[in-house]
Amino acid sequence: MEFQSIGNDVIRKDAWEKVTGRALYNADISSPGLLHGVLVTSTCAHGNIKSIHLQGARMMAGVKAILTGDSYPDLTGSVLEDRPPLAKGKVRYYGEPVALVIARSEFEACAAAARIKIEYEKLPTVNSPREAIKSESPLVHDQLGSYKKVIPEVYPVQNTNICHQIKIRKGDINKGWNEAEVIVEGSFSLPSSDHIAMEPHNAKAEILPDGQIIVDTSSQSPFAVRKLISQHFKVDLGKVVVRVPLVGGGYGGKASTNLEYLAVMASKAVGGQPVLIKNSREQDIASAPGKLALEATVKLGARKDGKLVAGEYTFLVGTGAYADTGPRMTSAMAMSCTGPYRLENVWCDAYCIYTNHTFATSFRGFGHSSMTFAVERMMDKLAAALHMNPLELRRINAIQSGDTTPTQVRLTPSILGYLPGCIEKIQKLINWEEGNRIDMGNNRIKAKGIACFWKTSSSPTDAFAAAIVSFNSDGSANLQVGAVEIGPSTRTTLAQILAERLRMDIDRIYVQMEVDTRTSPHDWKTVASMSTFLVGRAVLTAANDAIGQLINLGAMALKCSPEDLDFQHERVYLKENPEFYVEYKDIVHGFKYPNGNTVGRQIIGRGSYIMPHLTAMDQETGKGQPGPFLTPGVQAVEVELNTADYTYRIIKAATVLDAGKVINPKSAKGLVMGAMGMGLGLGSREAFLWSADQELQNTSLRTYKVIRIGEQPEYLVDWVETPNVNGPYGSRGLAEHGIIGIHAALVNALSLAAGVELDQVPVTPELIWKKLREAQNDSL
Amino acid sequence: MIPFDFEYYRPQSITNAADIFQTLEESGKNPVFYAGGTEIISMARMSSITTGAVIDVKEIPELKAMEFNGDDLVIGAGVTLTQIHEANLFPLLAQACARVADHTIQNKITLGGNLCGTIIYREAVLPLLLTNAYLVIASVKNARRVPINEVFSKRMQLNRGELLVQVHIPRNYVSCPYVHVKRTKEDKIHYPLLTVCALLTDNQVRAAFSGLVNFPFRSVEMEEALNDINLTLEQRVEQALNKLPAAVPDNLEGSAGYRTFILKHLLTSIVNELETGNVTNS
Repeated sequence: MEFQSIGNDVIRKDAWEKVTGRALYNADISSPGLLHGVLVTSTCAHGNIKSIHLQGARMMAGVKAILTGDSYPDLTGSVLEDRPPLAKGKVRYYGEPVALVIARSEFEACAAAARIKIEYEKLPTVNSPREAIKSESPLVHDQLGSYKKVIPEVYPVQNTNICHQIKIRKGDINKGWNEAEVIVEGSFSLPSSDHIAMEPHNAKAEILPDGQIIVDTSSQSPFAVRKLISQHFKVDLGKVVVRVPLVGGGYGGKASTNLEYLAVMASKAVGGQPVLIKNSREQDIASAPGKLALEATVKLGARKDGKLVAGEYTFLVGTGAYADTGPRMTSAMAMSCTGPYRLENVWCDAYCIYTNHTFATSFRGFGHSSMTFAVERMMDKLAAALHMNPLELRRINAIQSGDTTPTQVRLTPSILGYLPGCIEKIQKLINWEEGNRIDMGNNRIKAKGIACFWKTSSSPTDAFAAAIVSFNSDGSANLQVGAVEIGPSTRTTLAQILAERLRMDIDRIYVQMEVDTRTSPHDWKTVASMSTFLVGRAVLTAANDAIGQLINLGAMALKCSPEDLDFQHERVYLKENPEFYVEYKDIVHGFKYPNGNTVGRQIIGRGSYIMPHLTAMDQETGKGQPGPFLTPGVQAVEVELNTADYTYRIIKAATVLDAGKVINPKSAKGLVMGAMGMGLGLGSREAFLWSADQELQNTSLRTYKVIRIGEQPEYLVDWVETPNVNGPYGSRGLAEHGIIGIHAALVNALSLAAGVELDQVPVTPELIWKKLREAQNDSL
Repeated sequence: MIPFDFEYYRPQSITNAADIFQTLEESGKNPVFYAGGTEIISMARMSSITTGAVIDVKEIPELKAMEFNGDDLVIGAGVTLTQIHEANLFPLLAQACARVADHTIQNKITLGGNLCGTIIYREAVLPLLLTNAYLVIASVKNARRVPINEVFSKRMQLNRGELLVQVHIPRNYVSCPYVHVKRTKEDKIHYPLLTVCALLTDNQVRAAFSGLVNFPFRSVEMEEALNDINLTLEQRVEQALNKLPAAVPDNLEGSAGYRTFILKHLLTSIVNELETGNVTNS
């Protein structure tokens, strides 16, 4: 059977809506009687709330209610319950929600919010992960020991700022150091930053007279929102309905439940009327969760031939004021700590640490991009110490089937993919052979850097998805799934999988873009680059279920046995003579004989999938199977540095990854390019900037800079396709992966060009200047 | 969302605008003149400013002028940065305008707004300082035409109720050799780490700066040092650096040390370019 849909550049199903501006996002949808909630957020990074003056605001026109931390008793969190939806007694970061004004209009709510006066008693702040673990550090949470664990695999340390720690112990690290002929060590730091999704966070809630809670939200996790709202507001799960239309970008930032709690609290306070809360851009940057910070130390040992023999990794993960998914990401970084290299002796300590910064949640790459920066900068330092070509060092250490991961999973080609193939392709793509540092004259240096990556799902061991296929009376098909369309064209990819299996034209498959927890099949979350895999498997099962029914009914219609039949192009036909056929349109709602007798029934295909064989990480050794497969790859960046003023241009950025099977090449290329662009932003400019009092300084897009269209380099993307035998048509996840190694590749190139070790991001011209001056002073 | 109500007026003449301002002021509305609105809107959103009334001056004919008139290039305060850039009647000003914010915002920001706003950089003023431009300023009492130095010191020193109407640039400067360089922390579109505008007239280099200290300026003392032909270029730049009008700040855009490093590098190349006639303009 030749591929029809798979492997083709199918135009996304939501393309026309989006390019014409007709697509509606959650906050675009108004309803009669809609009230507006506006947050008042903390101007203090760490302090006791001495008083909140609400009188002035209460007097304002249109104000219906004002909520503060006393309005709601529960602490929330997806891993560790440590966060009040509104600060209670104490604030722990600049931008933390303290009060919520509900009014008839957004205007009236804003006007009243401006009247609320809050007095704080400032407390000493915890400014970085490294400071946070010192014994004399102030505590961000003094009740850490009493917090409820939501999952068993989180290990907080009482009376410290450590909310989780995890270890990897593989092989014999001392044996590794004894074998090592060259040892290098380095320390790295990466700041926290924001997702900057085009659509800021927003959520709407309404409580119906019968107690049903309706939540409309911009979320990657509608089913998780439903569960948490049911649990925290003590309402039967079935009475909570969560609806999600198209989402304007998530990048992990919309996977956790935040504004939804506040919207439900708000609706409760006004007798169940619908209330919408939508962040301004400034609030979204300061108040909504962002990307984690990392301070890492990596020590690598190798033999003179370049073979790695020992690796020791310490990750201090800054999760900000609350844990959210920080502990999960910390474990994910530990499980992938070596990067995609063969290493028998591995020692890793990873800590998730509170600071008085905006709290972190999942971010594209789930910690891997930060961790990979440290590992891949270290690989370049090792190459320099060995006088080896950095690409060659990576090639000879590339992990292969038969090797084991840091969590001791034995790898097969299907699980792992084929990294050496990626390295071979990128070598040509980026023209590595011309040399990785070229003096162009006129104060211009051209340099190239590379970095490898790998990533698996790090999902719960019971992550699952489902799909329902129904048919219209013209023979066309409808696909219903619970994955949210957050931008990467997931629902079109899933339609391609369905079209392929049903052997139908993709244009005859209709996909509903919205999720409604009452009618959409239950889905884990739209995260971890897993939707194509998880939901795709469910779609295949549903398609197979429908095909069985079509064939059986076709057999009745054609008066033969099912074995005699085959199907394609919306027909079930006799294998021996395709001219004898019945069309789908005549059987999908039952088959009517000429005399009016009707047999069969409406055909509905159902399918679901749960990832098998996953296990949690062991607390002492990290042993466990954290995901169903890996996606490995390699990235390269070419820069041109001006050595007179240290300004630089990013000329090219390239990625080759093992996609297993590329289902929609242009969509996939777009995803990888977008991820590269995002990673280059992290490498070159994006960072939260804190004042001495840890107030966030860059809360608007005037000062928080993201890479602009005119600053994008030429992007090169290519694939290796080693089938993942469990994946739909062999595919692997690839939505996040383009971000993981790209800033490491950028900074490897810049370090080489400038002739100085750059071990932090973002790398600005000033940083290069500063590091060169420090290096000169050191050598004097 | 702007969290307060305000009245909106759109006068068709200067007299009308001045009268409206006075009336509103007397009734305690705390009015502001409004042109492109980029700053007023963004600051009002954050409650950084409040006002009871805005007076939109964009439709006043004098504020829309852009033409040569006698010995002057006349540009109305309501002309947008995009219009100035596209007309390109004064290439140095055109280039300075084309590097303020991004293109979408340049379609809104007016010359008058850039000069009179609160954001400290005001990069469009640099070419005006170099060319001894005149400003036409109107109030309910009168209209006056004054040299820019009398009104611009660190920022526009206008009295309450005064409206900047036009900028008059002496025609003989618009074709002088010039250099415009803008350096930012990293991005092409950002506040300046340092913007330098320079031009050559009568074999003398003139230079004005934004981002270097907390206000835009032109310094005669620095120019004297840069033009001292008894010294080497390196010495001239060193001397000029000693004559800065204020301390170079450390801020989000960069440290004082790095700014000074960039300044030194830029001054050397700019003076060299202008004196050798080998202008590249970056």
